[in-house]
Amino acid sequence: MKRLVGQALVLVLIAGCAQAGDVQVDDVWARTSASMQDAGAVYMTISGGDEADSLIGVRVGSDVAARAEMHESMMMEGDDEGGMMQMHAVESILVEANAETKLEPGGYHVMLQQLAEPLVDGAEFTLTLTFQNAGDIDVTVEVREG
Amino acid sequence: MIRTRIARLALTALIAGMMVTGACAAEDLTLAGMVRDPLPSVGTVSLPDASQGGTEFATIAEEGHILVLYFGYTNCPDVCPTTMADLRRAVATLGDDATKIDVAMVSVDPARDDGERLTAYIQSFFSDGHSLRTDDPARLEEAAFAFGAAYEVTETEDGNIDVAHSAFLYAIDPAGYIQVQWPFGMTSEDIASDLEQLLRRLT
Repeated sequence: MKRLVGQALVLVLIAGCAQAGDVQVDDVWARTSASMQDAGAVYMTISGGDEADSLIGVRVGSDVAARAEMHESMMMEGDDEGGMMQMHAVESILVEANAETKLEPGGYHVMLQQLAEPLVDGAEFTLTLTFQNAGDIDVTVEVREG
Repeated sequence: MIRTRIARLALTALIAGMMVTGACAAEDLTLAGMVRDPLPSVGTVSLPDASQGGTEFATIAEEGHILVLYFGYTNCPDVCPTTMADLRRAVATLGDDATKIDVAMVSVDPARDDGERLTAYIQSFFSDGHSLRTDDPARLEEAAFAFGAAYEVTETEDGNIDVAHSAFLYAIDPAGYIQVQWPFGMTSEDIASDLEQLLRRLT
């Protein structure tokens, strides 16, 4: 019996090791939203695995928002001093091998459209990220005032 | 179209460049934000304030106060709330002086931002925030022009509404001058330090 447990433990450890070279997602958060606010944003840090990968899809339950999309905010070209910013949808976000890719304010983010209800401080919800190689990864989003 | 993603480092360099300009324009202040020369005068601009039943709101600070104004829209999930949260953090560090900072947001997307929505949005950050909107495009343009702000609302082929807008926070004094403006990405510490200096000069 003891030996079985030991073997099981080894298996668990091996399984754990197999994850080490994979994509990892941390610090996933969304800013609180005002009442009647339609859109929200989710930020996170993606640590690349041993091989480059791409985030190619995002989705949330309809109890959170009607749609989730990948977006990027940026300064308009040629208008650095005018401080004009815009946002557009992107098809994918490259996750380089063994490097951190940040989804952060003013850059890439997951845009939630038509929020079902306001995002309140301390709430949590599940976001499914689809990577080209790593497949689907469910992450827990923590709502904060930010 | 070629577009550049905001690199915080590049922005920091840009701001550092602006700081030099700022330091020259106002000898007694060391402002982190951008100081224009000459200081733009916006005290005669006014827009209907939805948070006050649509009464006209002049973009000028009360005596002893600073009015911080922003052009944005509520369907903006990233840049606008990040800016408002940074400003809120900055104001919160001012202690008793926090009551001397008034905040107003002008919607550049009035077709989608009705008064109630805009008021709820700004007041989720500042409980006394003013929500300025007009259905008259000429009035909005005129106001934006006075501030040197730009905006563009376009509908994409797939029916999405894309909004581009100047993402500055403008700090206006009781004489109606924009004393300083902060670009997106300015830290709340820098905003707080600028506000403190501006308030000190008023007293």
